[in-house]
Amino acid sequence: MTADQVTRALTAAVPGLQPELRPRKVGVRSPVEVPELWVEVPREGLVPAVAALKAAGPVHISVISGRDTGEGIELLYHLAVGYGTAGGEVMATLRVTVPKSDPTVPSICGVLPGAETTEREKIEFLGVSFTGIPSTAHVFLPDGFPGHPWRKDDPETAKLVNRLVEWEGNDG
Amino acid sequence: MAETQNVYEIPIGPIHPALKEPIRFTFQVEGERIRGVDIRTGFAHRGIEFMGMKRNLIQTLYLSERICGICSISHPIAITLAVERAAGIEVPPRAQYLRVIYSELERIHSHLLWAGVAAHELGFDTLLHLTWKVREQVLDILEELSGNRIDYALPIYGGVRRDVAPEQIPKVEAMVRYYRGLLDELLDAFLRDPSVEARTRNVGVLTAEEADSLCAVGPTARASGLSKDVRQDRPYLVYGELGVKAITPRDYGLEPRGDVYDKAVVRLLEVAQSLDLIETCLYEMPEGEITSFPKIPALLAFLKKAEGEGLGWHEAPRGEVIHYIRLEAGVEEPIAWKVKAPTYSNLMSWVPMFRDQEVADIPIIAASIDPCICCMDRVHVVRDGSPGTVLKEDLLRLSRAKTERIVSGARLSVPGSRPTAHGLRTTDYGGGL
Repeated sequence: MTADQVTRALTAAVPGLQPELRPRKVGVRSPVEVPELWVEVPREGLVPAVAALKAAGPVHISVISGRDTGEGIELLYHLAVGYGTAGGEVMATLRVTVPKSDPTVPSICGVLPGAETTEREKIEFLGVSFTGIPSTAHVFLPDGFPGHPWRKDDPETAKLVNRLVEWEGNDG
Repeated sequence: MAETQNVYEIPIGPIHPALKEPIRFTFQVEGERIRGVDIRTGFAHRGIEFMGMKRNLIQTLYLSERICGICSISHPIAITLAVERAAGIEVPPRAQYLRVIYSELERIHSHLLWAGVAAHELGFDTLLHLTWKVREQVLDILEELSGNRIDYALPIYGGVRRDVAPEQIPKVEAMVRYYRGLLDELLDAFLRDPSVEARTRNVGVLTAEEADSLCAVGPTARASGLSKDVRQDRPYLVYGELGVKAITPRDYGLEPRGDVYDKAVVRLLEVAQSLDLIETCLYEMPEGEITSFPKIPALLAFLKKAEGEGLGWHEAPRGEVIHYIRLEAGVEEPIAWKVKAPTYSNLMSWVPMFRDQEVADIPIIAASIDPCICCMDRVHVVRDGSPGTVLKEDLLRLSRAKTERIVSGARLSVPGSRPTAHGLRTTDYGGGL
């Protein structure tokens, strides 16, 4: 698999995408360039993009990372395409940003069942909802945990941290 | 699954004698057959990513090392690669080789740890004791090179913190020879033993299709026949030049079935692969600097000005570990930090592996993906035949004395049960310590 093939698959599936190639130089004696693609995808284009990657080659989801950008929630889908040959896998990161007023993203579990754990984790930590996800049960946080810890403006998390700081202070 | 009156639910965990980590399985069983399973994790969730986003990058590095006691090289390697990528830091060639050597030593000790746990879950404790006895050699080498049995504090942004001294190289080579000599015996004990085979063949099967669609990683995926190894697929450090190939049961002349037996095949062959990699690195490693930032304050000042995002990946003993980091200029702590450990990817693989299996095989199937356990350490001491406890200070003193003995060249005759100067006999129990 080459970065070009992945770029073609993505742009054919979702017109208008502009994947950015960020190769990294790897090795000491005879360095090679390991390709890495970063691309912004509108949420409507997410499922077609993942489906196109899956059609292009064996695809593995490493994880979905994410953060609170202030106005919105940014989700980064780290998908590795084309395992099985030496240096033949391309890491493609799809960046999907959704507004906090409507933090809804289509689930990719229909295309890639292995994405369920990481999608469920994002429900807990960032308060994102995934339409069509097979289960929304908590993976890491206790049931009924207040708030979403990775939201920067979450009052419940601030309260929890303050309680812990107070408790630690009393402990000594 | 159709609910019938013959299906009962058995909750196992979060704390249970058959499991070495807090996790809860709720099995639906019909007689002795498992019909379905519901898995609940999170009992050991410590909010490490949240903590990391409140600390400077050096503190976060040490925090990353404490995610797992067994993968205490793998997580720092992934986070250093991510930060180096985000901040544009070059790693000197010698440091890249050293990181590979430390990683492969970790793989050997982790795979031997798993082999022991697997033997124990099969009820074959003699094999557990044999495996963990021979595992001491690699732990001694790690202690020799880093000063610690776990949490080695070796990788740092821009390189590594300790070099391998010329006088240490023969000791590492001796370890490589020791394990090469033992390998056939280990293969005999695990793969050519009829009772082990009877308990592991066609047990806990994960097909290649399931492993692919559920995005399984590491030996769990390779035992199902997938040629999936980050060292091969997405080269980093010097792994590309070392020509690492993903090991599947085909390398042992077997068609992959994805059962527990195949997982043992893959891990044992990987011990041999790691020995080769260590030897090659010792031979090929160039002289030179081991870090591009010898002074920590300069490193911290550089990192504070850095801006960008990066990914760092590594093939940990259990599979792919990946860290994402985002840095902002003028801010000491990472704006975003996401850690993905291998068991996170392998969690879903348990569901097909347990389906239609027997209740008695739950422990070995659970252990077959080598779930990353929370490390606990316990020491049981017998003094003059009566049990007692030692204080933390005594343990620290004994530990330092042992490191000094190793570094001064005296080897332990029987690791783990050596009478000390105080007439104590110590035996280690518990996760990986």
